[in-house]
Amino acid sequence: MQAAVSTLGVLTLVFFIMRLSGDPTLLLVPEGASAEQIAQLRHALGFDRPLLVQYGAYLADLARGDLGESLVQRAPVSTILASRIPYTLALATGAMLVALGIGIPAGIAMAVWRGRTIERVLAALVLAGQSLPTFWSGILLVLLFGVVLQWLPTSGADGPASLIMPSVALGALTMSTFARMTRIAVLDELSRDYVVAARARGLSLRAAVTRHVLRNAAIPVVTVAALEIGNLLAGAIIVETVFAWPGIGQLAIQAISSRDFLVVQAVVLFVSVAYVAMNLLADLAYAAIDPRIRISA
Amino acid sequence: MIARIPPGMRLVLLLLAGFALAALAASWLSPHDPMRQSLLLRLRPPGTVAPAGSFLLGTDDLGRDLLSRTLYGARASLAVAMLSVAVSLLLGTALGLVAGWFRGWTAVLVMRLVDTMLSIPAILLAVLTVAVLGPGFLNLVIVLGLTRWPRYTRVAYAATLQVASLPYIRAAEMAGAGAARILLRHVLPNIAGPLMVVATSEFGLMILFEAGLSFLGLGIQPPQPSWGSIMSAGRQHVARAWWLTVFPGACLFVLVLCVNLFGDWLRDRVDPRSRGR
Amino acid sequence: MRKILITAAALLLAAPALAQTAKDALTVDLPGDAATLDPHIQWDTDSYTVYRNIFDNLVTRDPAGKIVPQVATAWRYADDLTVVFDLRTDIIFQDGTKLSAEDVAFSVNRIIDPGFRSPQLSQFDQITRAEVTGPAQVTLHTRTPYPALLAQLVKLSIVPKAVVERVGNAAFNQQPVGSGPYRLRAWQRGVQTVLEANDAYWRGKPPFQTVTFRAVPDLSTRVADLRTGRADIVRGLTPDEAEALKPERSLQVLSGLTERIGYLFVNALAGPTRDVRVRQAIAMAIDRDTIVAALYANYAKPASIVLTPANFGYTPDVTGWPYDPARARALIKEAGAEGAALTFTTSPAYDRRLTEAIQQMLQDVGLRVQIVEVDQPTFLRRRQGNPEEAGSLSQGRWSCACQDADGVIFPLFRSGGMWSKYANPEYDAEVDAARTVLDEGKRLAHYRRAFEILRQDVPGVGLYQDAAIYGARRELRWKPTPNEAFFIMDMAWQP
Repeated sequence: MQAAVSTLGVLTLVFFIMRLSGDPTLLLVPEGASAEQIAQLRHALGFDRPLLVQYGAYLADLARGDLGESLVQRAPVSTILASRIPYTLALATGAMLVALGIGIPAGIAMAVWRGRTIERVLAALVLAGQSLPTFWSGILLVLLFGVVLQWLPTSGADGPASLIMPSVALGALTMSTFARMTRIAVLDELSRDYVVAARARGLSLRAAVTRHVLRNAAIPVVTVAALEIGNLLAGAIIVETVFAWPGIGQLAIQAISSRDFLVVQAVVLFVSVAYVAMNLLADLAYAAIDPRIRISA
Repeated sequence: MIARIPPGMRLVLLLLAGFALAALAASWLSPHDPMRQSLLLRLRPPGTVAPAGSFLLGTDDLGRDLLSRTLYGARASLAVAMLSVAVSLLLGTALGLVAGWFRGWTAVLVMRLVDTMLSIPAILLAVLTVAVLGPGFLNLVIVLGLTRWPRYTRVAYAATLQVASLPYIRAAEMAGAGAARILLRHVLPNIAGPLMVVATSEFGLMILFEAGLSFLGLGIQPPQPSWGSIMSAGRQHVARAWWLTVFPGACLFVLVLCVNLFGDWLRDRVDPRSRGR
Repeated sequence: MRKILITAAALLLAAPALAQTAKDALTVDLPGDAATLDPHIQWDTDSYTVYRNIFDNLVTRDPAGKIVPQVATAWRYADDLTVVFDLRTDIIFQDGTKLSAEDVAFSVNRIIDPGFRSPQLSQFDQITRAEVTGPAQVTLHTRTPYPALLAQLVKLSIVPKAVVERVGNAAFNQQPVGSGPYRLRAWQRGVQTVLEANDAYWRGKPPFQTVTFRAVPDLSTRVADLRTGRADIVRGLTPDEAEALKPERSLQVLSGLTERIGYLFVNALAGPTRDVRVRQAIAMAIDRDTIVAALYANYAKPASIVLTPANFGYTPDVTGWPYDPARARALIKEAGAEGAALTFTTSPAYDRRLTEAIQQMLQDVGLRVQIVEVDQPTFLRRRQGNPEEAGSLSQGRWSCACQDADGVIFPLFRSGGMWSKYANPEYDAEVDAARTVLDEGKRLAHYRRAFEILRQDVPGVGLYQDAAIYGARRELRWKPTPNEAFFIMDMAWQP
């Protein structure tokens, strides 16, 4: 219920922001069209109706499960979105694997070797991934691994090999969040009485971490993962542009710049629903990780 | 006081001060006018000496001095980041304090709004709003400020809930102190630590955001330089004119790194959980 | 001796290339994917590039730019308002049915139907209707005598009536059927479009069995694709990128001057530029030769009027003002406009470097220029809105895809038009007359007068004739044309 309210809020917000930015008629007519021709097309498209009427019509369509038709592509928005979602999911999964695969071990290492040089080096390394603008580091990756070494395809989306570079570029952005989160969670657990007691009984640090600490430290990490999913889905605008990855980020930026309203709305709707779904999954995951936590109805 | 700062952090602080100084003193430090073009001297490598002067870091694709532009760019990038962090910090904290103090439907309303904002990816929202308002320094600050506040609200809300139940706060309330007074005098100082931690990590992000928006053509207005706009223009020339992206890129990298390291250090100091075993 | 060794080495290296004489699949990198494949809907360059290879047009242009037959074999004016077209009878659509006069009339009537909401409508709305007047004959009626009719018909693709009516507009857009050299094999919206050769094509066998158009928005990535052989030809190179590609032995730069004119719009109805002396000063302050040499590496060509030599109506002896900063400064002083504040409205769609270069040149003669960058829809809204909001200056890169002055200076400067921020009844009379008289000599005389008036009034300043620049594998044989067409049929592969 609460999730539905915030999704509706998102849609309303985006609807009015988009409409305030002017209608797309001017972008659809050829250079040199007359004012009457433009007015005619605007009328045919329904953009001359009062804003609230347009909003009501949109919600009514949405309630029937109709996302409408793209103004530019003249195809159902649902078809367009559906063709992009698999790529987006693939990229988000790839990026998540990179971020978790590097971030969590790095975070554990940083906690275990707290205060040593190795912690600082690791901290700097994971931060480095977050401190470079993707549009620059991305093209450097393409030049190095694509053009010079020719190990990986330079663009596009055919086969797992072409997923590697975009995943690394996108994953690097969230990697340090996971590393820091894990570090704090592990430190937190390591300072608890039961761990201190176990260590006093002679349990090695490694055993303490693997047997007790990780399970409990996983909860905050899962929370962050769920929060980050929104950024991974459509925050990938720049990564998708650089690597010509046909996900919804690229779709969104094109739709915004051509004022293809319904496509933008649909992208936002998808991301918002995905975000809510991920947070629900995270709640379920808590219960799986720690049976003491019961899902509240 | 200074003696308690570890040597590594001292270096970080020194670098941060250096950046701030460079940004403030850009007009004295720059050897050239950062806007002055000479089309016949485009894309010259670092160390070029021409009758028009010497170009220590080379020139860009309109023949402007890269060193001067990088110095002025520091000013723009830092100003955007600082102001947008300030806007979102103020807005987010105020809402979080109010929600945490009054609870009830106020909190429900505010936290729903937070959820709404958080479920739209920030860059998407920023691109949308910049498209409406138009780019430019002030609009950039407004857009970034208005899209990033929920993070502060979450922290401020949780912390306020915690602090508000402490006996001395209740005592102050009983003694007849107004809500505003209690929030500002007693609650705010207690939650300032965690907020500062969020602010530092956001600061680095804002610098990158500005760069990203520049890449999408929605950043600082030309011909004003920012690190992001220099890099996105220079990106086209990565193979031939590496200096255009490497120098501002290195500055951006070091600055974001320093801010984040500073934030981590700050967190370790204010967050008792991670203060260690 | 060394020479021989080198030659031998070169031969050895070339051997595998020689062995491969034919190339089956061509890969093209475009900035975006086709928005629609129905040729009567979108006509952005990406869509156009793809679907024009699926369809035939009523008439087309030869490499020299002359209008020549394609589906039509001949045409004649029955009177000033009526044109009769004779059609070929041997063209077969890709579904096996014959292309008939009904299909041609249907195509015309479809695009001019306001209910169809074609974005291309304004290019064809001088046509009132098309009717079948014989087994292989179609007659078009126009509102007024319309000299640019044939130039517009170059862009009219012929679609099969039966298929469109059977499957409906939406399905036709998804699964188009044409009579062109390529048929659609697969369309992954937003990702790529794959075409395969129509071996029964009436003009001969297409040069490649399959052609893949990929959407790669970032130029640097397109160039990386070309370097690694992932793409055979990429569109939209900048002059700087083109220069950087030149030393690569396996690659080449294909470029050609187009009918697209780069110009500077100057608002004659609002702001400091209302004073004609200020506008003339602006025209004299711009050093277009240096701009073209430095920023466009001489791929583009300097143009001092707002029309390219590739358009009908171009008269080489009527020029704009030459570069003369001293006179510009004097004129501005005379007009009392020193330090006058001009706004230069722009969007990411326009070359940032050119905007900044012009800004500096105008500041050097005593004006103050502020750049206001907004996104493209906002830019269009302001540029096309009332004169007070349009700003003093903006860039334009104009092409009517009709190679006729009527498609350029009529919409740009005729008073009352939404692009025009200029009003001069004398000028209006010339361009009005030129669009309703069929005699070419008379039309040229009208345009000559029109350009003489524009020279005095300066509602716009010509900057450069734009070039289309492609990067391609060395083996590809093709010459870009002024109308920016991308016909695979005109290409060949020569290892």
